[in-house]
Amino acid sequence: MPNEQTTVPLFVAAEILTAVDMNLSAGTGVPVFTNSTTRDAAFGGAGEKVLAEGQLCYLSDSNIVQYYSGASWATVGPASASALVRVGGGTLSGASTTFSNVFSATYDSYLILVAGVYGSTSTNINLKLGSTTTGYYWARNLTTTSATTSISGLANTSNFDDMSATGATLANSTALQFYLHAPFLTQQTNLSWAHWGDSNSYGVGAGQLRNSTSYTAFTLTMQSGTFSGGTVNIYGYSLS
Amino acid sequence: MTTPQIRIIEGDTVIDRDMNADELIEYEAMQEAAAVRAVADADKASARQAVLNRLGISADEAALLLS
Repeated sequence: MPNEQTTVPLFVAAEILTAVDMNLSAGTGVPVFTNSTTRDAAFGGAGEKVLAEGQLCYLSDSNIVQYYSGASWATVGPASASALVRVGGGTLSGASTTFSNVFSATYDSYLILVAGVYGSTSTNINLKLGSTTTGYYWARNLTTTSATTSISGLANTSNFDDMSATGATLANSTALQFYLHAPFLTQQTNLSWAHWGDSNSYGVGAGQLRNSTSYTAFTLTMQSGTFSGGTVNIYGYSLS
Repeated sequence: MTTPQIRIIEGDTVIDRDMNADELIEYEAMQEAAAVRAVADADKASARQAVLNRLGISADEAALLLS
């Protein structure tokens, strides 16, 4: 039964409703399914409607409305209403924490927010992409609340080093914000970051990982001791 | 000595385990490089202080001269 209607019927009192009437009414509503698997199984069987163009459905597991184009199902409206889409994250632990499968072809640029980071000892944090241990270039300007500054940088190192100093208590924790461009693309990856350190020191920096490797993961590592706390949220910048 | 732990997060899956041999070598190399940088930074600070001492001015006064 196709979904195109030629009329929107209005039934009157005492009218006899035929199967055609009921199918037209019930079959053109929006059926609700648990997921795409139960949806696909609900059409075309004995006593079931044959799937046809224009069919709508609602999927409870992902809270989306979809339509059938005649060839495949597509989501109604934009895939995401937000310019930033969370793609991963979690709680830091151990001497290092790796976030796997967070970079993909879906996004070119990423925002990584790191908050409440402190460790078993006061130390510094490094950032590494994939398993690459060469080709990192970076420079940073660090300023304290007493207006002393230090400028540092390194060429061709094994990590983005010294991203931020962190303390050994939550009160002395650090927060960081990374903007990462093109980690998944086969071109050099660009990084800028800001950090709010553990001892009235604040800094900004930028760097590059100079190779054409495509990355799906990154790792944050304590230079000594272990993470005692810290949360990470990773977002992709929508391309449209 | 306890082997350092690594956490791996993929979606909702979290794995905590000991670093393997390759990860441990890389981790120790990173620590060694950080220690070298710390010594270099300390040497630089000492040299800077020695210059200030010879000039007879404080770090704040030197900052004023450079601002």
